[in-house]
Amino acid sequence: MVTFLLTDIFFYIIILSLFLYIRYVINTPDILETWSYVFKNKTGILSAIVLSFFMMIAFLDSIHFKEKIYNNDKKSYVYSSEIKSLLDTILIPMYENTEKSYSSPFSGHLYTKETIKVSDKIEERDYPKLLHKGNHNKYFENNLYNIFLTLIIALAKSFLISIFIYLIIFRRTLFKKDNRMISALFDNKFLFLSVFSIISISLVLYDLSFQYYVLGTDKVGVDVLYKSIKSIRTGILIGTLTTIVMLPFAVFLGIFAGYIGGIVDDIIQYIYTTLNSIPSVLLIASAILMLQVFMANNPLEFENIYERADMRLFFLCMILGLTSWTGLCRLLRGESMKLREVEYVQASKTFGLSKFSIIVRHVMPNIMHIVIITVVLDFSALVLAEAVLSYVNIGVDPTTYSWGNMINAARLEMSREPVVWWSLFAAFLFMFILVLFANLFSDVVRDAFDPRASKHYE
Amino acid sequence: MSKLLNVKNLSLEIKSSNKNILKNINFDIYKSEIVSLIGESGSGKSLTALSIIRLLEKSCRITDGEINYLNKNILLLEEKKMRAIRKNEISMIFQEPMRSLNPVMNIYDQLKESYTVKNTKNIKKEIINNLVSVGISDAERVISLYPHQLSGGMKQRVMIAMAIACKPKLLIADEPTTSLDVTIQKQVLDLLLELKNKMNMSILFITHDLAVASQISDKIIVMRDGEIIEKANTTNFFKNPKNTYSKSLLDSTHYLKKENKKETNHNDNTLDIKNLRVYFEESKSFFSKQKKFIKAVDDVSIKIKTGSTHAIVGESGSGKTTVAKAVMGLAKITSGSIKIQNKDISNLSSRETINHRKNYQMIFQDPFSSLNPRMRIGAIIKEGLCFLNPEINKKEMDFLLEDVLYKVGMTNDALKKYPHEFSGGQRQRIAIARVLVLNPKLLICDEPTSSLDVTVQKQVINLLTEIQRRSNVSYLFISHDIKLVSSISDTISVMKNGKVVESGKTFDIINHTKNEYTKKLLSSVPQIIN
Repeated sequence: MVTFLLTDIFFYIIILSLFLYIRYVINTPDILETWSYVFKNKTGILSAIVLSFFMMIAFLDSIHFKEKIYNNDKKSYVYSSEIKSLLDTILIPMYENTEKSYSSPFSGHLYTKETIKVSDKIEERDYPKLLHKGNHNKYFENNLYNIFLTLIIALAKSFLISIFIYLIIFRRTLFKKDNRMISALFDNKFLFLSVFSIISISLVLYDLSFQYYVLGTDKVGVDVLYKSIKSIRTGILIGTLTTIVMLPFAVFLGIFAGYIGGIVDDIIQYIYTTLNSIPSVLLIASAILMLQVFMANNPLEFENIYERADMRLFFLCMILGLTSWTGLCRLLRGESMKLREVEYVQASKTFGLSKFSIIVRHVMPNIMHIVIITVVLDFSALVLAEAVLSYVNIGVDPTTYSWGNMINAARLEMSREPVVWWSLFAAFLFMFILVLFANLFSDVVRDAFDPRASKHYE
Repeated sequence: MSKLLNVKNLSLEIKSSNKNILKNINFDIYKSEIVSLIGESGSGKSLTALSIIRLLEKSCRITDGEINYLNKNILLLEEKKMRAIRKNEISMIFQEPMRSLNPVMNIYDQLKESYTVKNTKNIKKEIINNLVSVGISDAERVISLYPHQLSGGMKQRVMIAMAIACKPKLLIADEPTTSLDVTIQKQVLDLLLELKNKMNMSILFITHDLAVASQISDKIIVMRDGEIIEKANTTNFFKNPKNTYSKSLLDSTHYLKKENKKETNHNDNTLDIKNLRVYFEESKSFFSKQKKFIKAVDDVSIKIKTGSTHAIVGESGSGKTTVAKAVMGLAKITSGSIKIQNKDISNLSSRETINHRKNYQMIFQDPFSSLNPRMRIGAIIKEGLCFLNPEINKKEMDFLLEDVLYKVGMTNDALKKYPHEFSGGQRQRIAIARVLVLNPKLLICDEPTSSLDVTVQKQVINLLTEIQRRSNVSYLFISHDIKLVSSISDTISVMKNGKVVESGKTFDIINHTKNEYTKKLLSSVPQIIN
């Protein structure tokens, strides 16, 4: 049975609006031309593909359902109380098996020695073997050979897959010759190369996961790679949902304050100065604590721990959004104040255009570069903020997979001897990739939308 | 006379594009001589100056040539020695006195930096003497002031005082008077001449204004596209310039006198301003009830007959732009009335205003900021048309666009481009097309040529007169340039401090003015001395 969590619905809305925007772009030649600059640029192609791959993972992770559990008579059934996502069914090799405790990447045994009963009488202290992985090599007994062969096979598979994907899209655009812009986009070696590399990396990881814990296991024996992949959804949700909450406040209030001025400006300024003067960590902490009290008092509203954790995530996005719009708002206020006096705005005033249409036609397009830059920088900052907040225990629910929670747990792991480094490393690696490519993408987009950068005319 | 500076085969390129932007520059400057470097924007005159003082941006590279200062090639000097030369031998003054002074330091502290002596007492005396020598009589008071408390002319004097503090042998002046009013410009030019004679200093004077150059310089060097195309003695140059480009530069400073039109039978006024007052409230404080006003426009009356041109002339701060803004409804009128085609615009309902607006439109000063950089030219020109004539259909619109582009001398392929793809003159044509497409009866031109190069200026002025001849539009022409105005206007008002000090027929005012201020304005306009 498909179930919808609150954040799922918002995520669907985000994906849908993205989809509608893409359709709109394809039907508008002017904007398509601008965007095609992004996809002619190597950085643009690569970062767009990486980001959309991350988005796809997050989307798959947002389709939730409950499994049927059949009773003994094989006819009647109940729904499991556990909520799974589509991603879990794909990642079954990582999802199903858990070990007892820590084990390092590609290892065949646990990380600490235990007393093992060899026979009834003899006991021995040694590293216990892992239950599910690390000792069941598919091709060779030797680990190194085995990994190497798995790698080669995965690469070959991904090469076939990417050619297949490429041909489908390329062929289709060949048949539809009317849209030359799009076919030009796909007629690109670099595009093929980056699609291939992403597919091959993920396929290699996937194939290896059948036989090894590629990034080790955590304290309770869960695959760290699985945890990191599941955290993508949390990271992207916090980045996008918060931005969506924050944007209307920042853009509209900023422009109104700057463009209309006078008493409107005064009121808006007072609001954000007041909001800014409250320490945001305190505000977030109090909001999260209030939510916890509310959930404790109304246990019937929330069916299971998944919904509670989800509610907390949603609430965190809201409160982060409410506290983070002031910076952008202030920037936009200043910029629209400047634009108000610029001669092309004056010229439109002499045509008698209304305030609203001047804002839409002249002010908005000329502040968009600030919005895009700030949004992407904020996106990165928010993904990082989640980590910080989870670290002080006011972030997402401890049961939610998130990089912040992984880093929080790593606090103890790093202080033990020998050090458990792979949790922190995995969280860092995934976060780094997402934030880096978000930044690169925003750079290219900003350049594309700035006509004065004029690279795409040469 | 001995050679002070010798520039030999100087070539310069931009690193990224390998494009030569200076090609084989050769010239000499002798002791106590003023050399003028003339050219339009982008001709490389500022780059030449910057390479002499070795303050080029990192993106440029000198590829060839020597710059010999007192027979020493300064391009080969190490940076430390070059600094000493900059401090003691070659000084430079820049175009914008507002930006060249540090706003948080007072004049004394800024000037002190130019002296090497450590003794504070003597420095103060020297600074005061220095300031007096650049014509600041109450130097004792001025040294404790901050830059924002000084006027533009005073700031430029302070800059000059800074530059001559170390008694340089060569002063490079990069358009030192361009951002100043004419009366102040004259003072600064006189000062430079006086200093040159007193201190035996050579000056490399960079300007785009031929008249200024003719007044001050001994030698003229004309540059175009990074090349020197003519070098001549000042008197010879103005008598018979050899190069065709120099000739066209000279030509563009003379405007054809408007032939005295026969009194047209149009007797109705397109614009009738009566007793216009525009006051701005000064710093409204929350607590004080007293309101202070700045009288930007005080009791101004102007009438413009159909098909004629009226000019408002004045220095900066005289309120001439505020009059234009009041007419366009961009500034609130305190009292008085403005009638356009016999309709009082302050009494119209908003509906009627929209209908009426296509009859009066405005062309702005700076074509670089008057076009939205993120809109295509087609959208820019259509904007007013779509709003003021909503019933227009696409076919008519395309026809109108094509027609108006033809009228301003541009082609159809401009429609799909962005403003940054055009030069200043072309942009101003687009700005004119944008209002012309509405077929207005009154056009307000707020210094439409002051940010353009001289040859382009002339083209724009010719375009405007051509449009007037064809469509009988009236102009309210606002300018600080009385020379320009005298050639194109029928009637004229001279404004000072928000008031009209004199108005009447252009011919009468230019030739037989009785007003002191107008006389001063007229006399400070630089004329080409033949």
